[in-house]
Amino acid sequence: MKRRTFLKLTGMSSASLALSGCQKSNEKLIPFLVAPEDGTVPGQADDYASVCRQCPAGCGILVRVSEGRAKKIEGNPLHPVNRGRLCARGQAALQDHYHPDRVRQPLQRDGERGSGRFAPISWDQALTLLTERMAGLRTAGQADRLALFTPPLTGSLATLVGRFRDGYGCRQHLAWDWLNTEWLRRVSQLSFGIDGVPDYDLAEAQYLLSFGADFLETHLSPVRYGQSFGAMRQLRPTVRGRFTYVGARLSLTAASADRWLPARPGTEGVLALGLARELLLRGVFDQAALQAAGLEASELLGQLSAYTPRAVSESTGVSPADLQATATDLATIRPALIMAGDAVAWQTNGLEAGSTIQLLNILVGSVGHTGGLHFSPPTAPGAGSSFADLRTFIRQMAAGRIDTLLVRGTDPAYSLPPALQFQAQLHKVPFLVSMTRVLDDTAQMADLVLPEHSDLESWDDVVPDRGVSQQVVGLQQPVVSPLHDSRSFPDVLLALARRLGGEVQRSCPWENYPALLRESMRQRLGNPAEAAFQQEWLGLQQQGGLFEATPPANARPPGGTFRLPSQLGSSFAGAAEAFPLFLQLYLSPFFTDGRGAHLPWLQQLPDPMTTTVWDVWVEINPVTAQQLGIVHGDLVEVTSMAGTIELPAVVYPGIRPEVVAIPIGQGHRAGGRYAAGRRVNPLQLLADIHDERHSLPAWGATRVQLRRLSATGHLVAAGHAEGSYRRDILGL
Amino acid sequence: MSRQARFYQWGMVIDLDRCTGCGACVVACQAENNVALVEKQRFAEGRDMHWLRIERYWEGEFPHVRARFLPMLCQHCGDAPCEPVCPVYASYHNDEGLNGQVYNRCVGTRYCGNNCPYAVRVFNFLNPDWPQPLPDQLNPDVTVRSRGVMEKCTFCIQRIRRGKETAKSEKRLVRDGEIQPACAQTCPPGAIVFGNLADPDSHVSRLARSPRRFRLFEDLGTDPSVIYLKGGGHEHAG
Ligand code: SF4
Ligand code: SF4
Repeated sequence: MKRRTFLKLTGMSSASLALSGCQKSNEKLIPFLVAPEDGTVPGQADDYASVCRQCPAGCGILVRVSEGRAKKIEGNPLHPVNRGRLCARGQAALQDHYHPDRVRQPLQRDGERGSGRFAPISWDQALTLLTERMAGLRTAGQADRLALFTPPLTGSLATLVGRFRDGYGCRQHLAWDWLNTEWLRRVSQLSFGIDGVPDYDLAEAQYLLSFGADFLETHLSPVRYGQSFGAMRQLRPTVRGRFTYVGARLSLTAASADRWLPARPGTEGVLALGLARELLLRGVFDQAALQAAGLEASELLGQLSAYTPRAVSESTGVSPADLQATATDLATIRPALIMAGDAVAWQTNGLEAGSTIQLLNILVGSVGHTGGLHFSPPTAPGAGSSFADLRTFIRQMAAGRIDTLLVRGTDPAYSLPPALQFQAQLHKVPFLVSMTRVLDDTAQMADLVLPEHSDLESWDDVVPDRGVSQQVVGLQQPVVSPLHDSRSFPDVLLALARRLGGEVQRSCPWENYPALLRESMRQRLGNPAEAAFQQEWLGLQQQGGLFEATPPANARPPGGTFRLPSQLGSSFAGAAEAFPLFLQLYLSPFFTDGRGAHLPWLQQLPDPMTTTVWDVWVEINPVTAQQLGIVHGDLVEVTSMAGTIELPAVVYPGIRPEVVAIPIGQGHRAGGRYAAGRRVNPLQLLADIHDERHSLPAWGATRVQLRRLSATGHLVAAGHAEGSYRRDILGL
Repeated sequence: MSRQARFYQWGMVIDLDRCTGCGACVVACQAENNVALVEKQRFAEGRDMHWLRIERYWEGEFPHVRARFLPMLCQHCGDAPCEPVCPVYASYHNDEGLNGQVYNRCVGTRYCGNNCPYAVRVFNFLNPDWPQPLPDQLNPDVTVRSRGVMEKCTFCIQRIRRGKETAKSEKRLVRDGEIQPACAQTCPPGAIVFGNLADPDSHVSRLARSPRRFRLFEDLGTDPSVIYLKGGGHEHAG
């Protein structure tokens, strides 16, 4: 008997067995007794359109739902941001829904603050508790001592929170997180007179120069730009787009570059001016764009006279040959596009450096053109709170002006660098409420914990403030029924408004959040009649939102005049003698600011550059490691002015010898079984140094020293740290 | 059946010039295929269960250093070294070019894993364990493997099956691009393209003719169904 015939025969008798096994229980599927391709009987599944909320990019998703359970998330091909694709975090979002440590009912603190001891209470009790507190404040004329802390909000949720705040009479709403766009907007404002987030037409570009913008990881809209990057490389029949990356560390994004310019931290702007001078000298620049920006070539060249290749090379550490080669690329390849990102932003000269980089965009004439730089539409939401607001907020806490703090959708006790004093001042807030899905570091400190619906259980409209140059409104809808006794944040606000009564109830009149969503959408559609709207609404639910087909032609031409920054010096916390190394923290490609650390699929996903799993580490250049007697996997002590932590060492060829790097995202105290206790939070190394002139953070301006402790760093990598095979045998 | 007469010959092209090493495909694969969770300690013991992994290679020294990525998965070899060594025929070949694994036949000798030059077969040393309610996420189209069983990438055979059924019920052949494994579907830069190599006009066939093409360990004569396109070069494939 041939093997195949045999398989077919056994297959028939066992198919029915296997099928009933599937239906009875999902945990223990009975393995098929037949060859997989003959035995699988696909069940019925439906796809529902919604929106990914793992980061603010707002990619469209399709959730495959089978027998009432969400099984898989794919990209929505109709959504203009991600066109059917998703990043690793978007793929892992299912585990946020099914996380075994989700809070299952409201909890009230039952023990010392921070002890993690809670007693379960009912929603009615929880809301009564909160309402009484808020009503008490209002009666005492202290409504302003209620404060909210959320990430930047968009769409109807921003509307609702605003109405709630005003109706109740409090002003303190901090809308801040690590992925905010304040710096980019301020650079745009300074350079082009536009309050918008740059959107890159990468797919059409032929040359890309990125100054520390990790657009394939966490910068703005990684799926959109990842997709465009693939197109830039290999979609066009005769052109392969080229890419140069500037930054002291070879990031995952930088790894895809054709050329890497490891400029010293804080000298990126100097490099940009050196390149600008070369373009002017060679006479290759966009005269019209220069004029529109109020610049005059010969005058500008005069101002840049100090930025000779030699001087620039000395300051940045980039070789004159690399500088010239990059200048030649910029002078000869069109369309060219220049990006700027975190590594530049987080220096004390971030704003100035950012604007010198935009000068290059002016010189190559990329603004508003195909393959160049565009801006988010005026309809896009604003930046949320500024860094200055954040610091004011913490001062208010310290001064005892906040009585009740409601934190939702963010985990400041983990994600704010302790140098900002948020954690230290938390005890001055008498009543902390956390609305969350797992007990994160903030919820651990809370007096009242309100369990929130997962993203797959919630309604929302999502208006991305990045990665778009046209209007996009994603519609997030519940695709499965709630697993636990949780609620959605907007519905809790509406319930509070009803219980509080008075002005706040009048300003939040909606019966539930979907009613507000429908109202907002109806307005966006120009208020059609009810029947027509009903039709449209169904259509929007099916396709996943309201998408403007193309960006309005030349929607936002740059205005204003470009002014060359008067100084480009940067400073660092810690004397060079005591702290010889620069510390570069970077957002983990998977956990970003820590928000993904509770997902086991991301924890066990080998870090792309180091192949490390479930961990946090410090990256050291091989030469520096050798000088310090450190080998791969050793335990080392990293010390800054602000603190000392112990981490395993990763010997990392792609980093400047005087720089060490640590990913942000691990070291949670709480956050469920997968996140909690994975070593230490590297944010505690950051010194209290900021760009005080512009009130911007300088997370990249701390110096550290390193000391080897022992050989037992317990570093675990998936497979061989050098790759499983020699590159040459693979033919790479 | 002779090669020429086949309707389908499944194959994959991975363009290393597009792959950015982002890892989206790896998570997509785990979500689709009920791949077990692996704790840190298990990784330390070499018990990684990934069906698809991203190899990373450093090249050169600072400052002229580069990193390259290579997604590594079952190559679905035409002449698969894992097949003849299995004493119970659990590792077998089907007539559409897939290298299959019959979980219920597998007795766990691990000969196939030893004989695979690509080291893509992973063995269940333990029963998989998903704390509640994570099991509700498990894909009902895919068997959960238990202890003692070898497993590996199937090219998402459950999706191939579904695609073929749909096509059959509509009395047509599977359309180009209609079937996508989870990795290819999510890959942001579009590095992974899957399809029918028996159709010379399919996207995958066109890419497979690129001058940048190469296959892993070609010299071993394994005849892989996964074709890589070299990265970092200037030539271009149509
Ligand atoms: S880029 Fe952001 S929104 Fe898009 S899939 Fe990834 S996490 Fe989700
Ligand atoms: S998803 Fe695509 S780009 Fe990302 S690692 Fe996988 S193959 Fe490479």
